Amino acid sequence: MRAVMTGAGVAVFLAVLPWVLPGAFYVGIATHVLVFATLALSLNILIGYGGMSSLGHAVYLGVPSYAYAWLTANAGFGVASAAISAVALGTVLAAFFGVLALRASGLGFLMITLALGQIVWGLSYRWVALTGGDNGLRATRPVMFGLDTSDPTVFYYVGAAVFAAVLLCLWQFAGSPFVACLRGTRDQPRRMRMLGHNVWLIRLAAFVAAGFWGSVAGVLYVWDYQFISPQTMSLQQSAEALLMVVLGGAGTLAGPVAGAAIITLVKTVASSYVDRWSSLLGFVFILVVMFMPQGLVPGFRRMARRRAA
Amino acid sequence: MTPVPALQIEGLRKRFGGVTATRDVSITVMPGERRLLIGPNGAGKTTLFNLITGDLRADAGSIRLFGKELRRASTQERVRSGLARTYQILTLFPQETLLHNVSMALIGTRKVGWTPWGRFDRREDLRAASHAALERVGLAGFGRRIVAETSYGERRRLELAMALAQAPKVLLLDEPLAGLSAQERDAVAAVLDGLPRDVTTVLIEHDMDVALAFAERITLLNFGEVILEGTRAEVVADPRTREVYLGE
Repeated sequence: MRAVMTGAGVAVFLAVLPWVLPGAFYVGIATHVLVFATLALSLNILIGYGGMSSLGHAVYLGVPSYAYAWLTANAGFGVASAAISAVALGTVLAAFFGVLALRASGLGFLMITLALGQIVWGLSYRWVALTGGDNGLRATRPVMFGLDTSDPTVFYYVGAAVFAAVLLCLWQFAGSPFVACLRGTRDQPRRMRMLGHNVWLIRLAAFVAAGFWGSVAGVLYVWDYQFISPQTMSLQQSAEALLMVVLGGAGTLAGPVAGAAIITLVKTVASSYVDRWSSLLGFVFILVVMFMPQGLVPGFRRMARRRAA
Repeated sequence: MTPVPALQIEGLRKRFGGVTATRDVSITVMPGERRLLIGPNGAGKTTLFNLITGDLRADAGSIRLFGKELRRASTQERVRSGLARTYQILTLFPQETLLHNVSMALIGTRKVGWTPWGRFDRREDLRAASHAALERVGLAGFGRRIVAETSYGERRRLELAMALAQAPKVLLLDEPLAGLSAQERDAVAAVLDGLPRDVTTVLIEHDMDVALAFAERITLLNFGEVILEGTRAEVVADPRTREVYLGE
């Protein structure tokens, strides 16, 4: 019952948000938040449930974006077939990278994801014939059901629909037997093996799932920005995604969404008033780590519980 | 024809750098047997368990479960062949409920764990079996408690419940009575006593009252070597036991 209420609340919030915001510029930012919230939710599968920190997750934002832009521009793919192909490519890539990265754990895992991310980033710079190098690739927003998606508010609703669907799936996912096992491999890998679980395969499946949902964010990204360049796959982008999850609260659903909202807002809104917006971000992050090391959402929940008690 | 041993270890060897932790250990445990492993601290008892379960890889020798060679097998394969263990140092999921802990043990060798939807903690099939496992160790009403909120003795019994939920054929118990108060000790001893007779059990335990009442045969280890093996009476009466274990 509580879940139904929360779901209805989220749906109503997403539906009325464009009416509350002061203008098209802010509706556009709200759409960006939804894109990065989707990315952060996908990375949360690895970090929050699996305890595996990755510094290469922007790959799954970038590669499907490139794939979508290239397939629609050069191969005559339609919206649906290009989107499905892009997500499939990102997912297969995640399976491949997962096998490589899971040769290690902890810091080793982090460094391998970082290295793989840098390789893909370097390729996108150098393989000019395919990626356009520094100039990137352009894409157009899909025309759906005859709607004019070049209108920020119309496209916002496309993004909100995708985001709501992802959130619903991940909410189902979060309480599932698979995530219970994944959290088990995070807390007690040795015991999990002794109970007969295949720890390596559970982790790989989590890596692939994170790559899949990350790729969904990638398609949403290229629709939103209508442009993809190596910048999207930079280390900075991967680190920001990591920061969104940790800042908001890893292992929760609201946390990564809140983290994505804060970081995107600081980046886009505060940067027009403050020059050193990345310093501001750093300052916020230090405060959170000092006072709410579990992240904002679990931190505020605990505060509310203490207030109530 | 002699029956196939439940657990047959031959010439097992393990070195850590210059230290030989396990030196040509050979032990045969028959189906349904209750075996006690004794020896002073550092004798290599827990190392032997870790070699049997695959937490550590042996350098040489053979480990067979019901005739099946498993020295190079993964832990998962060994568990699927009927092996389960408890840990001397509690290895539980501390932020979860007792029911959740036992359920994790139940689904270890099933496909349920791959289902990416639905509510794990609300599955009726798992809940009933988990309740049953908790009941066997006297934790019937404790299912909804979080592990972190239970007493040490209750956690020890949860360790046992998880191993029992796996329906093992060979059960390794690593000091199930360690650190317990007298009252808790009686509770765990009662659980040990009630273990099914068809489960082959190897026990490491320093509490001799309970251990001697439990086991029929005893193996004495020292410095990674088997010093002596025999019936309870033989080993207790042997002067080497006094020498090695009790100290002269």
